[in-house]
Order: sequence, then C-alpha cells, then structure tokens
Amino acid sequence: MSSPSGRPRMSPTRLVMILVLLVLAAVYLGPLLTVVNVSLQTRQQFNLNPTAIARQPQLANFVTAWNKANFPLYLRNSFLYTVIATGLYVVTAVFVAFPIARRYVRASGFLFSLFVVALFLPYALIPQFQLMLHLRLYNTAVGYVLLFLVDPIGVVILVNYVRSIPRELDEAAAMDGSGYVRFVLRVLFPLIKPALASVIVLHSIGIWNEYVTPLIYLPKKSLMPITRGLMVFYGQYGNDWTTLAAAILMLTLPIAALFLALQRWIYAGVLQGSVRG
Amino acid sequence: MILYALISLGPSLATVFYSFTDASGLIGTPTRFLGLSNYREFLFMGQNVRDNAQVLVRTLEFCFLVTVIQTSLGLLVAVLLNQRMAARTVFRTIFFLPVILGVTIVGLTWTLFLYPLGGPAQKLLGLVGGHSEFLGGPPFQAFLWVTWVQIWANMGVTMIIFLGGLQTIPSELIEASRIDGATGWQSFRHITYPLLTPSLNTNLTLAIIGSLQAWQLLLVMKGVTNGTQVLGLIIYAIAFGRTVQNPTSVAMRQGYGAAASVVLFLLVLVIGMIAQFLMRRRERRVLG
Repeated sequence: MSSPSGRPRMSPTRLVMILVLLVLAAVYLGPLLTVVNVSLQTRQQFNLNPTAIARQPQLANFVTAWNKANFPLYLRNSFLYTVIATGLYVVTAVFVAFPIARRYVRASGFLFSLFVVALFLPYALIPQFQLMLHLRLYNTAVGYVLLFLVDPIGVVILVNYVRSIPRELDEAAAMDGSGYVRFVLRVLFPLIKPALASVIVLHSIGIWNEYVTPLIYLPKKSLMPITRGLMVFYGQYGNDWTTLAAAILMLTLPIAALFLALQRWIYAGVLQGSVRG
Repeated sequence: MILYALISLGPSLATVFYSFTDASGLIGTPTRFLGLSNYREFLFMGQNVRDNAQVLVRTLEFCFLVTVIQTSLGLLVAVLLNQRMAARTVFRTIFFLPVILGVTIVGLTWTLFLYPLGGPAQKLLGLVGGHSEFLGGPPFQAFLWVTWVQIWANMGVTMIIFLGGLQTIPSELIEASRIDGATGWQSFRHITYPLLTPSLNTNLTLAIIGSLQAWQLLLVMKGVTNGTQVLGLIIYAIAFGRTVQNPTSVAMRQGYGAAASVVLFLLVLVIGMIAQFLMRRRERRVLG
C-alpha cells in the first residue's frame, strides 16, 4: 500500500478505512460531547432544543450540581474508599503473590490455580452479603472497604510478573541478612513497578466506578460514594438534565484525566489480565 | 494464605448452600432448610415460570448479540488501527475511554443522548424521517439499546487484546504475502486472521462470560422493570431489590436469589464449556 518513496499513498481502500474510523469515533465521542454541551446550556435552552450548541456557555449548572448533589461529601467518600482499599489491596496482594510465585509455600501451584479459577467463578453476591450482615459490617465504611481486598486478578498478574524476576536476587538479599518484609518492601516493590502500576490503576478505577456494591452495602446516605450519589440525584431531579450533565461531567473529568496520564499502564494491565495462567 | 483462598472460593460454594434455605436480609430471623423448593419455584411454578423462561431467553440473546458484535467490531477497529497512521493513538484513546468511565457515567450519558424530546439520537433519526421513544419505547427496543451501550462500553477491551495479538504477528509475513501478489483481504484472511486465534479465543471467552453475568447497565438505564431484565438483574432484584425502595423491608429473599444464582452459574458453565470445546477444536485445525 505504500508508494516507492515509502510514504503511504491515499489509496481508495485506505480512504474507506479512515472514513470508517472517523464514523466510529463520532459514535464514541457524540454522546460524550452531548454531555459537555448540555452542561453548558441553560434550562430554557435545553427545553427548547437539547442539541443547540451552547452559544453563551455558563457554569451555573456546575455550581448547582456541586451544591444540590452533595458533591463534596460523596467525592470525599469515593476518594477515601478508593485510596484506602487500593493501598491495602496492593500490599496484601504482593505478600500473597510473592511466595506463590517463588514456591516458598506448600502447594503453591494449587493455590495459584485456585486464584485463576476464582477469576471465572461468578461473583458470590449473596453469601458475601450474609457474611457481612452477620459480622455486623453491613452499612459500614470498614465493611465496604473490606469487600475490595479480595480480587484474584491482581494476584494473578503479580504472580506472573514476579516469576520473570531472577530468583538469585532473593538469595543475595537473604545473604545480606535482609528480613523478609524488608526485602519485599525495599527490593521487590521497585522491581515489580510496572505490574504494580497496572494493578493499582485497574483496581482503583474499578472501586471508583463501582455502582452496585454501594447500592447493596451502603444505604446510609452519608456513606455513599459519588457514583451512587449521582444516581440518587438522577432519581430526584431526573428531568433536570442541564444540572445532571454538569454532575456527570464533573465525575468524568478526573477519571478521563487520570486515564490520559496512565493509559500505558491500563492497556498493559488489560493485556496481562487477559493472559490467564 | 489458606484464609485468602477460602475467602475467595468459599462464597461460591456457600451460594449453593444458601440456595437450599430461606435466608433473608435480616439479622436474627432463623434460617430454615428448604431442600429443593427454591429451585422448584424458580423453574416449575406457575406465573414465575413464563417470566423466568423469558428472562433466560433474553439473557442468551444478550450474550449472543454482545459477543458477536463486540468481537467483530473490536477486530475491525484493531485491524484498522494496526497500520501506520498519524492519529492512531488518538483513536485508540477514544475507543477505550468508555471502559474507564464505568456504568454510571456510561448509562447516564447514553440516557441523555437518547433523550426522546429532541435529543441528539432523535435528531439523527429525524434526518431519515424516523421517530422513536428509545429507552421509553417497547421493552424489546429498549433492551436492544442497552445491549448496544454494553457493546459500546466494552469494545475497547476487545480492541486492546486484538491489538496485542496483532503486534505478535511479524510484519515480514504480511509483506512477503503482498509481494507474492496477495490482496489486503487475502493476506488478512489467510495469515492475520488465523494467527489471531489466541486473541480471538480470549476475547470470545471474556465476552461470553462477561455478558452472561452483566446487568449493571440495565439497572442504571432501565431499573428493575419487566421486559428488559436478564438473569443477573432478577437475582439482584430478588435478593436485594426491596432495599432500594424500603431499607427496612424483610422481603429480601436471599435463599431464592441464591437458587437463581446457581442456575446462572450452571448456564455460564455449560455455555462456557461448549465455547471452549469449539474454540479448542478450531485452534487445533487452524494452528495445527
């Protein structure tokens, strides 16, 4: 398809391909741009014509949404859940994955296959709920965070990655008299950074976006994360789309920014996660 | 370590246990053993049966549509993006973005896009003289819209996995075939596509298992309404539904919900195994 000079020529096939991509990109961007546009309209403009471009963009909707939708509280909740649960999860997952990868524990092959099998098992919603209920952790922040500490995917990614790191390092560290915990924290963590980054990014985005888990476990309004808060707001002001669009956008922008900054790790994580044992 | 394994596996087995009981969502009420009566009720009793059968059929339709369309679309996009092009990474970012945004944002964004009173989709339909109530229309139509949004939201993952697979195919192979006079389509059909088998199998597996168990978008966009439910959604509705309207309700039928979960699990298992069998057979034939 390239001309003798090496530069791609605009052949008809190539033109069609690019057109197809552009149409698809429009299908992907259209709904998102609609949200942006509506968030800048006034209510009257929206009622008159929802697709009219907001000529005099105004930010009043964002202020309204921020106040009416209880944003500061919900955002704080989401932030705390995400940071604490991801932090605890990553540390425990490394301490689980490392000995399995190195076969330092008995039956590590079997344990690893348990985690791989767990990837495919359906999420056991009901027993988990019964457990939380009887532990009196239902409707508590602590209980909610605990729910995110058992996710097999991170362990599987980490085990596969640790296996690629030479075992001699452990032995050298042991000779230096470095303790186990110290070794894992000081030597291993920096070495497995790429895998860690993927696990952290995927896990935290997952928690941040979680909708059904808080719906089930956190009926108390003061504990709700932002996703749930947004749906409560939608339930109350379902027709107030200009404010709603502003609220959606305020939730979208931070995630989109994070995504743009960390794309590489996200794609890597998706690929590592899909190569399943 | 063993504790960790128990925590992740135990609940799955416990689902089976609970499916034989009348467990509820309330502390203090004794849980009685019921034997198979939850299953009898779910599969064989009166009015429920027709509804439940419809839900099962709809779950399979959802799975089929999502798997076929999402995988084809993902393959198309990945192949198009796998060539030298200026805006490659921009396109990749655009197509992957919904994966990151999660069900709440995606669901509400499309609800706005499909706003029936002159929203963008309505305007586009108006260009060809059409009109639709979209999510507010006939249940099956609303169901198809949510199915499409599910595909829209997850195609990025399919694309990334195919792109990863495409990178493992040496470009010399394609170039050699082109020198031998193969058209673009021929070299795709006879070299790229067969060599993509591992990625294709991964994607099909993920899509089948994922779509059989997906219901969150349906909940965000349609709520618990008749005519658009899938199995995962009614499990939620049976086991937790009442809490949404009334947090103190005692009607959370967790035992009955667990029985429905086991039915879903068996469905995933059977379809998953048939798919695995077919994919293995094809892989042996294609890759030798």
